[in-house]
Amino acid sequence: MVSPRFSCDLARLQLALDDRLREDAHQDLASHLEQCGECREQLESLAAGRDWWRKAQSHLATVEDGLPGRLTNTGRPGRPSSEGAFDDARPDQQPWLGFLAPSDDGAFIGRLGGYQVSDVIGSGGFGVVLKAFDAALNRFVAVKVLAPHLAASGAARRRFAREAQAAAAVVHEHVVAIHAVAENDGLPYLVMPYIAGCSLQERLDRQGPLELKEILRIGMQVAAGLAAAHAQGLVHRDIKPANILLENGVERVKITDFGLARTIDDASLTQSGVVAGTPQYMAPEQARGEPADHRSDLFSLGSVLYTMATGRSPFRAETFLGVWRRLCEDMPRPIRETNPEIPDWFAEIVETLHAKDPAERFQSAEEVSDLLSRHLAHLQQPALAPRPARLRRARWRRAMRLLRRGALIAAPAVVCLAAAVHWWPPSETTHQRAEGQPVAVDSREQPRDSDHEWQRPIAGWNQIDREVAETDHAITEVEQQLQRPAASVISPQTISAQAIDAEADAVERRWAEGVP
Amino acid sequence: MESTPTTRYSLLARLCQPSDEQAWREFMEIYEPLVYRLARRRGFQDADAADLCQEVFQAAAKAIERWHARPDRGAFRPWLFQIARNIMINSLRARQRQCNATGTSDARRLLEEQPAEDEESRLLDVQYERQLFHWAAEQVRSEFREATWRAFWLTGVDGRKPQQVAEELHLSVGAVYIARSRVMARLREKIEEVEGRQGPE
Repeated sequence: MVSPRFSCDLARLQLALDDRLREDAHQDLASHLEQCGECREQLESLAAGRDWWRKAQSHLATVEDGLPGRLTNTGRPGRPSSEGAFDDARPDQQPWLGFLAPSDDGAFIGRLGGYQVSDVIGSGGFGVVLKAFDAALNRFVAVKVLAPHLAASGAARRRFAREAQAAAAVVHEHVVAIHAVAENDGLPYLVMPYIAGCSLQERLDRQGPLELKEILRIGMQVAAGLAAAHAQGLVHRDIKPANILLENGVERVKITDFGLARTIDDASLTQSGVVAGTPQYMAPEQARGEPADHRSDLFSLGSVLYTMATGRSPFRAETFLGVWRRLCEDMPRPIRETNPEIPDWFAEIVETLHAKDPAERFQSAEEVSDLLSRHLAHLQQPALAPRPARLRRARWRRAMRLLRRGALIAAPAVVCLAAAVHWWPPSETTHQRAEGQPVAVDSREQPRDSDHEWQRPIAGWNQIDREVAETDHAITEVEQQLQRPAASVISPQTISAQAIDAEADAVERRWAEGVP
Repeated sequence: MESTPTTRYSLLARLCQPSDEQAWREFMEIYEPLVYRLARRRGFQDADAADLCQEVFQAAAKAIERWHARPDRGAFRPWLFQIARNIMINSLRARQRQCNATGTSDARRLLEEQPAEDEESRLLDVQYERQLFHWAAEQVRSEFREATWRAFWLTGVDGRKPQQVAEELHLSVGAVYIARSRVMARLREKIEEVEGRQGPE
């Protein structure tokens, strides 16, 4: 029986598939379909051939291999939200929580060692984080359990234990403490204080870019926490908004998940060449698989500051490869293009942290923390706290490098050159050349490929750039002269390094005064 | 999707344009789990398998243009998986040189234990197709209201009766039919975007 108000109409079925029917037409079609088997079949084959339906069923109903997925999309997508991962986390419904012993208290979902587990807080690459009650000490704790499939591997267990030891060694108000490390039925876990609050990532997702004061406050505390870890020889290696916790109520920030942290001299795991860390916030040297040091964390901190200021991470591309390319090759889009309210000096701090060459970044987390806190103090009390000097470190470094070469060679060297040509015996000349001694230039100060990173025009720099180029040119000329045999007798000792530094500082001061 | 894998022109052609980030993103989303599983099946640990994925895709990124320009190029997937195999074998060999392992050679064992080539290719084809469906499902899911999506999933995947599902979702039976077909049409469309207009059969 076909509804009299509605005739079978292929075009209308197509409109329904495209979701372009008005509400009443949609209802008409729905009631028609209940009676008209032919239209049902038409609709379904219009949507997709029989084979598609069959494949959709067999493929989507299958979860691959039982291997843990690397990406979320290996998970089963059709899971209705009422059965979402953590909404209803009972061990009987969540096979992966099967390691929990039953709890005799109905308020808890299970028991792990001496802890009554009440909730699943989250899960990450290394396992699950549970909220649990520590009856002995009458407090809530967060328990991080190594995922069972990883616990089967000795390497992962060792890494987990190392993580715990490394993190436990850092005691600082801006680093999440480790209460205990234990094992239950071969499953290692570590116990941390339960921190009520959210991660910086969640905050950014909810709220978008933060206010400058807030950015400085958070950045300063993260840098301070990092400084404490670095003092222990520990590099976090995975600084990102998700690993920065914002405690409710108190304005305190804590770094968590030293999950990938390693002591710097622990080379055993790097043997396997594993690139650890979150690509989006990684430092380029990490992405290239080169050794990371504390300055790699500073690069990541730069990315976190950038994200807080703009609401988006600086090196976005979402594929590993895309991020990798951008990390290693591009400077991110200037912060002030996205958020004009951010002052220049802040953008400069981030740019310095983002130097591709670790030697051109700030050299310690302490320095960053100090700088951010002085800026914050100035913002809060402009009358009492002076604004820290403008930062042109990276550019200055480059300029200074050239100047030093200039000062070193051009001024005193020319004098020496004249003397040397006359007084030094030629034999010594050849001897020194054979040793391949560089001409009074520290090899670390050689120009690097990464120099071009800093050559993007910034207002006020054009003039300096011109001067630097001119100096560079002049130096090259002098250097060419020095390359001639008689000239290389000038040893680095001839010229006092202090005198050169003093000279360079004087130039720096003159420029700083002259440039707006 | 046909029984023998063909070169997937639409996505592949786009991959050869380095600026097409979207193409790389899709490519990685679909293929990375496959390469990862391949490595895990060969006994690589989680972190090593992840590392291997990176190596494989970097190698592929470098080589894809050259491959694409070759008139005699074969199908894409076998090419990619051959890269993966080569890198796995090299990596095991390198590790062996480093550790100077006792007992049987891991690399030789790996080679010997390799399933027959065509058996593995068949397996990979099935997994690829499965991955494609899972990926597409995840991509399009947010376009639908929860009830629409569940109408599709409960009837189309879990195989339950539309009447029953309609009751559960407080929809009319006809609305369930429309909903599930809408999702199916969108899934097909999404897969065809990647796969080119072939479809099963």
